[in-house]
Amino acid sequence: MNLAHLDELDEIEMADGFVWRPVRRRFGIRAFGVNAYTPREAGSQIVEEHTEEQLEHEEIYLVLRGRVRFTVGDDEHELDAGQLVFMSDPHLRRGAVALTEDAAVLAVGGKPGEPYQVSAWEAMFAAVPFAQREEWDEAIAIHEAALKERPDHSALLYNLACMEARGRRHLDALLHLQRAVALDPKYAGYAGNDSDFAAIRSEPGFPGA
Amino acid sequence: MSDGYRILSLDEIEPVPHRGSNLLPLRHALGFRPAGVNAWAADAGGQLVPPHEEDSGNEELYVVVRGRARFTVGDESRDVPAGTLLFVPPRVYRAAAAEEDRTLVLAVGGSVGKPFESHGWDSYAVADFYRQTGRLDEGRAVVRKMLEDLPRAWYVPYNAACWEALAGSTDAAFDHLRSAVDLNPEEARGYMANDADLDPLRDDPRFAQLLA
Repeated sequence: MNLAHLDELDEIEMADGFVWRPVRRRFGIRAFGVNAYTPREAGSQIVEEHTEEQLEHEEIYLVLRGRVRFTVGDDEHELDAGQLVFMSDPHLRRGAVALTEDAAVLAVGGKPGEPYQVSAWEAMFAAVPFAQREEWDEAIAIHEAALKERPDHSALLYNLACMEARGRRHLDALLHLQRAVALDPKYAGYAGNDSDFAAIRSEPGFPGA
Repeated sequence: MSDGYRILSLDEIEPVPHRGSNLLPLRHALGFRPAGVNAWAADAGGQLVPPHEEDSGNEELYVVVRGRARFTVGDESRDVPAGTLLFVPPRVYRAAAAEEDRTLVLAVGGSVGKPFESHGWDSYAVADFYRQTGRLDEGRAVVRKMLEDLPRAWYVPYNAACWEALAGSTDAAFDHLRSAVDLNPEEARGYMANDADLDPLRDDPRFAQLLA
């Protein structure tokens, strides 16, 4: 039986205090987006503040455990286990803070009317622990796997280039950065100030050089 | 609360009987479109997830939200506490029963590589529950919404015909049955031949005309 308890899922702590518990990746689900979140401690973020403007996902956030304060637009709601927020408007800003240490939230989402596509942010989040430990080969491999499915995803390419630059794969980094910039010129500006590219900034072909 | 979002407790959703279980029709209640999402509730010993396979090709994730459940997947059974997530691929037998009172299980499903399309089984369960409990206006409103949401699916007017036939509205039932036959004569006539829900219509000459 393919099962896992919430507390057995990987714990990937993000910079602003929420802990990503990958559900979709754990089970290899490909029909819809689903993930869980727990806090670092009571009072920490549990759902990252964001909108779904880019992905245009509808989302359900279900509190599985504990007590959570959601902020939706300008409104605040304190929810207990078994209560949920259904976000039908992808433009509305949403986020949540855990009011109890044991809090857990399940998020389900996707874009209405389209087949589900694995969101690129999952690979970027999954690579974080490896990047923190400077295990660049592993971080790069996660990005490469995601790029097989989304070869023209500019953010993935840019992130991959960052990892490659830090991992001393300078030529690969330059090529992937150039590709990211060709797909979305805003990345030339980002690269100019990104410390990840310190080692390749003076190379010929570096965007803006 | 502003437009664009909604707060809801699973306990606020009126349970609807479906295949021996208590369905909490969450997708229907929210109008959620990216995936099928529903919940099942039962007290100790009661059936939670009706025994079935997902012949539609849906892969499903079950989440024990509260209580404790005994899941059977294929030929394996396990007792699992709240907080457990189970993944079941398509075409694999699954069922669950509650091991504690007030057990609650969330089910999320969809097909890989296809946009999610509700076939309205959950909404029909709601409409049927309203009919059986005499809440005909509420039931008819659900049926009307299903006809608006899925205008090209033959089985929606077909089910609407069943609903009206059982509710005693013969003329409305024939209107829907005619729509179903127009949309897919072969399927609609195939089901009409042996569907007990349509028994109240069988002696009416219009029934034979639609079968012809």
